[in-house]
Amino acid sequence: MKKRVVATGLALGAAAVLAGSMVQGQANVITIGGYDGQTDTALVSELIAKFVKPKLAADGVDVKYVPTADFGTSIVTQLSAGTAPDLFYLEDFAAKGLIASGKILPLNGLVNSKDFLPSLNNIFSSGGKQYGIAKDFNTLVLYYNKDLFDQAKVAYPDDNDNWNDFATKTTAVQKALGKGYTGTCFPAEYSRFGAFAASTGWKPIQGGRTVLDSNFKRAFKFYTDLVKSGVAVKPGQINAGWGGDCMKSGKVATAFEGGWALGFLRDQAPNLKYGTTLLPRDPQTNKRGNLIYTVAWAIHSGTKNKAAAVKVLNALTSVEAQQFVLRGGLALPSRISLQDDPYLGGAGVENIAFRNVFRGASEGNAVSFAPDKFGNAWFRGIDEALNSTMDGQKTVDQAVREAQAAVNKVMGK
Amino acid sequence: MNARTRENLTAFWFLLPFLIGLVVFFLFAFLRTIWYSFTNYNLFDKSDWVGLQNYADVFKDSLFIQALINTFTFAILTTLIQTVGALLLAIVMNQKLRGIGFFRTAYYFPSIASSAVTTLIFIWLFRPTGLISYLSTTFVNYLPLLLTGLAIVIVVQALQVAFERSRGLPASPFDPALLVVSLLVAVIGTIVLNAGGVVRVGSADPTPLLWLSTSDRLFGFISYPILMIILMNSFTTMPTLMLTFLAGLQGIPQSVYEAASIDGASPIQQIRFVTIPILRPVTFYVISIGIIGTLQMFDQAALLGGTSPLDTVVTLAFYVYHNVFSGGAESRVGLASAAAILLAVITLVLLQIQRRFLSDEGVNQ
Repeated sequence: MKKRVVATGLALGAAAVLAGSMVQGQANVITIGGYDGQTDTALVSELIAKFVKPKLAADGVDVKYVPTADFGTSIVTQLSAGTAPDLFYLEDFAAKGLIASGKILPLNGLVNSKDFLPSLNNIFSSGGKQYGIAKDFNTLVLYYNKDLFDQAKVAYPDDNDNWNDFATKTTAVQKALGKGYTGTCFPAEYSRFGAFAASTGWKPIQGGRTVLDSNFKRAFKFYTDLVKSGVAVKPGQINAGWGGDCMKSGKVATAFEGGWALGFLRDQAPNLKYGTTLLPRDPQTNKRGNLIYTVAWAIHSGTKNKAAAVKVLNALTSVEAQQFVLRGGLALPSRISLQDDPYLGGAGVENIAFRNVFRGASEGNAVSFAPDKFGNAWFRGIDEALNSTMDGQKTVDQAVREAQAAVNKVMGK
Repeated sequence: MNARTRENLTAFWFLLPFLIGLVVFFLFAFLRTIWYSFTNYNLFDKSDWVGLQNYADVFKDSLFIQALINTFTFAILTTLIQTVGALLLAIVMNQKLRGIGFFRTAYYFPSIASSAVTTLIFIWLFRPTGLISYLSTTFVNYLPLLLTGLAIVIVVQALQVAFERSRGLPASPFDPALLVVSLLVAVIGTIVLNAGGVVRVGSADPTPLLWLSTSDRLFGFISYPILMIILMNSFTTMPTLMLTFLAGLQGIPQSVYEAASIDGASPIQQIRFVTIPILRPVTFYVISIGIIGTLQMFDQAALLGGTSPLDTVVTLAFYVYHNVFSGGAESRVGLASAAAILLAVITLVLLQIQRRFLSDEGVNQ
């Protein structure tokens, strides 16, 4: 009896493993790969149920979301082994590298990419071919804690501020409120600092090269000086992980984050009174900069059912699906036609924030966060330079020189 | 079929499941890695034979050299600390004391926690304004009081000893009874001096501890993040090794110690001339698994990789991973395979050296 139970158990286990691996690669099941997190799993599952399944029901095709924990790593191995899902997230910073692998289906003639923002299409195109359709996008906005500015009797940051105004205002708040309060959070990361560098007119990659020029250095000095003066802190210094944590603490006057911080603040700091505005301008160019972050839907070139996969992609990026995501306050649509959706005209805090995120992409010098085909190794040298300068271990000149050497090495120059 | 063949065949059948695993997950993977190390494979394109190019490139890569330095520093220091620490701990845990079972369990605890959890706890302890920073600042702030107390203890103890000796009594400088009096005087004296404003507690704010983000190196070669990983790894591995030593210690007959004691050996001499030589096979095992484990260290480096500069945490195993999963850039599987093969060669060489060092007779006992 015992033997039979064990044998049955083993057989069932083996069957489950086999069944799981067989879902991928079946012509009548379209699998979708993405992040394994509460938000993504819930959202994509809802999109599938509401907008995708009804359109594919007649074809007898089922659609399944198969999220993975370390998505960026697993999609590389899955594509290499030929076991990738039919449809998956294509992250902006990894796009050019994965496109070069030849494992992503060109969408020309299959999907009408003209309906989507050209600046986003560019990030997922190569050699005149379109390989992904942006599912949404984000930029940075300046979050500020209204209560702290009110208590300190300092005017809120606004769209007209330049770096100096920003520094003056945050310094004033910090001085007025005293010990334990901080003007802003500046992570030692290109993913935030890059917006300041872009406002000087500096271009991350031009003609296949990255030159950390005098403009870059000017922004670098402003960003690190504010930390050295104590007005700004790295999130880790106040035991926060990122800008959202800084705002949540209620002791930091401002932070630079994208629309992704809205849901976090809604859940984690429901009583926080905050506002958002556009990023401060560079006083020399009088322009503001920004980083555009985006993730696309792409199709595995080895999909067994190309027609169905394209249908799923179209359904996921349809007007209704993107409108649903936008009105849920989750992300900005990549469709041109939705850029003047009534939601973006609303007067609520989150509506205004989304409007600012949206304006961030088109005002001044907004550049893509994606470092061409060089992946996130490209950021590392700059991140380390920011960190060592903020910690007072290196001078701006020394750190920028070393960052240039690191970036050159990554780019093979 | 004679009895011997049948016996061999039976042994083979028993070994088969393990052999299948070994062939599939080790031999096949190992041979493929060797093959890749001679090609320019990038996970996607057809690979070409490039001969020894990857091996040459690896040595030209400053990150690999850094990984080599970090790995050796880490392996040698950690193995040393955890072996010595585990032995001392085992000797203490081998005493016949009341409630020793509780202490054995308590000291074994760090080994049960997953290394990911321990790493997170250590990151938390070592963060700029974490507990370590707080404790060290508190220590610095109270240092004037501690030094004053110490000075008073020395002076009062010296006076008492001088007084006792002047009466013709044999007082040792560390006489416990006198020391208690000196300590009491020191505590009261320090409190009075502090209240009177003569000695003050410092008011320095906690200085941010930059261990995890600094690219400075202790003595010019031990990076601070690696130092933290050395501490953490020793902390978590020591208890497991302690258990091994403890088993070895319990195999040493009490009569050997009694004989040594009769010959006039002090407790330190007993450890030096009895315990350590008898434990040699156990020590060989402990050092071997220590070296193998530390040379392959990856998880802590990978977890810290996000917070610390790459060249301060990169180890050979992390270097291999970093080149295959390069965050969106082209995978360099060939280069990574060459590094992996070198890691295997280094491990084997180190084990051979260690085998020589600990001499065969000890091992074969």
